[in-house]
Amino acid sequence: MVIARWREKSLGWLMIAPYLVFVAVFVIGPLVYVAVLSTYRWNLLSPRPVRVGFQNYVYLWNSSVFRESVTNSLLLAIGMFVFSLPLGFFFAVLLNMKLRGTVIYRSILFSSYVVPLTASGLVFTLLLNTHDGLVNRVLEQFGRQPIDWLGSSHYALWSVLMVSVWQYVGYYMLIFLAGLQNVPEALMDSCRVDGGSRWRTLWHVTLPSISPNVFFAIVVCLIQSFQTFDQVYVMTDGGPDNATSTLTYYLFSKGFQMADVGPAAAASVVLLVILALLSLLQMAIGRRWVVDEP
Amino acid sequence: MMQRGRVRRMAGHLILMVACGLCLIPLYWMLRSAVSTNGEIFGPSLQFLPPRLEWSNFAQAWRAEPFALFFFNSFASNAAIVACQLVTSALAAYSLVFVQYRFKQVVFFVMLIGMMVPMQATFIPIYNMLSVVHLINTYGALVLPFVGSAFGVFLLRQAFTAIPQEMVRAARVDGANEFYILWKIVLPNAKPALTTLLLLNFVYHYNALFWPLIATNSTSMRVIPVALSYFLSQDAGQGLQWNLMMAADVFSVLPVIVLFLLGQRYFVQGVASVSNKG
Repeated sequence: MVIARWREKSLGWLMIAPYLVFVAVFVIGPLVYVAVLSTYRWNLLSPRPVRVGFQNYVYLWNSSVFRESVTNSLLLAIGMFVFSLPLGFFFAVLLNMKLRGTVIYRSILFSSYVVPLTASGLVFTLLLNTHDGLVNRVLEQFGRQPIDWLGSSHYALWSVLMVSVWQYVGYYMLIFLAGLQNVPEALMDSCRVDGGSRWRTLWHVTLPSISPNVFFAIVVCLIQSFQTFDQVYVMTDGGPDNATSTLTYYLFSKGFQMADVGPAAAASVVLLVILALLSLLQMAIGRRWVVDEP
Repeated sequence: MMQRGRVRRMAGHLILMVACGLCLIPLYWMLRSAVSTNGEIFGPSLQFLPPRLEWSNFAQAWRAEPFALFFFNSFASNAAIVACQLVTSALAAYSLVFVQYRFKQVVFFVMLIGMMVPMQATFIPIYNMLSVVHLINTYGALVLPFVGSAFGVFLLRQAFTAIPQEMVRAARVDGANEFYILWKIVLPNAKPALTTLLLLNFVYHYNALFWPLIATNSTSMRVIPVALSYFLSQDAGQGLQWNLMMAADVFSVLPVIVLFLLGQRYFVQGVASVSNKG
């Protein structure tokens, strides 16, 4: 019996070992390594790592490109929060009316989520073309001046946001819908009978009863915003004048394209701290885990 | 009262139709431009519906770059990723749900970290590690950093929890070993979750640009998103015309759209199961 217990225990560890080894090698190891690298200078000019303490962080603090990148990431996160979350909730409420054809509406609205962002980035570049893009052609029909969507630092970030909203709104819609379908009909009906208007019911009954889904959507939305990269790389290369450079794009261009490892590693630590804080917030409020993958 | 209900339903239909229309415009425009001449796309008399269809664009785009190779690279590396994820996740989830041992809390904590750290923050160390063992620009580099999936463990753990412990205990009493139980009893009872994991993670990795862009540098190792991302880039630009780019876009999107249409309910379940407390 003792031997059987011991066998079961060791088997448990044996079965979980492949996953734990994976996390150790590709998550925790790199996590420690990147923190260490952030205290070294290591680039094409100094091929051997040189210890520099917190200089890389000071460098980031004084770097206008880094500050712009963080600001852009924040603006994108705010934009996603303001546009795609309420829109996703609104669509979910409409789908929950159980109209005929709901399955088709749901599929269409979610379909953009499975399209690769690189492919969407290409189409939007065409749609937003200054002279001949569909968007500007429509604007001209209404007597508006064409907008230089991707070439002006004023509109470029809006263009990136447009792609993100289009891409993710269906995903948030499904998160909200999953919650709404668990709200008992009787609860909402009883509120209406009590004389609450539809909007009041929505705000005071429906929303609180799906609060776990709401918090989940908010945190996933913020995390996804901070990882914005693909469409920036395809559409604007971070330009014009860093107007669309995001934190992730900064990491890529500094750490990979310029091989300036120190500041890039420090920026990675900044990104990790932001994401960790968001995840802690999620756990504290929602008591659940954040999933970085689909 | 009935009247008001009907008006509301009509309004609901109307809003949803408009939303769906707006949502489909980019996809429609991709397709529409893919079957046009380049002159037409940028011409003054552009119409919403194409006057005639230039199907030959697809063949021309396909020949412009080695797309067969890119598709092979994408499918091969992503199939390997998903296969590894299914194995590691199933073993880990089984261990967490059906085997008794101490320190499970520690394992949970480790899982949590695995979920919160994105590749974008750790790509420098991972690149360095893989280049030390000469794996950069190989399938190994594309696959290895993703052989485990926290989402996979999470999803399968949730599905396994729904299977009665008695079934597993009964099999143990009969002398079955754990791997046999996992294979013959647990996995067949978790097919929907396995399908969800397979579809969601395949699509996720098929679409992923960031790591393949960094981990590979030759045309022979290029995957679909990297190929697309080079179309407009200044130094690597291929000089493809827009109609051909859109044709390439269409056949690149096709596999995920087909998977989505075939397995819709699994996608919906996948999103629902991570967002509802389970």
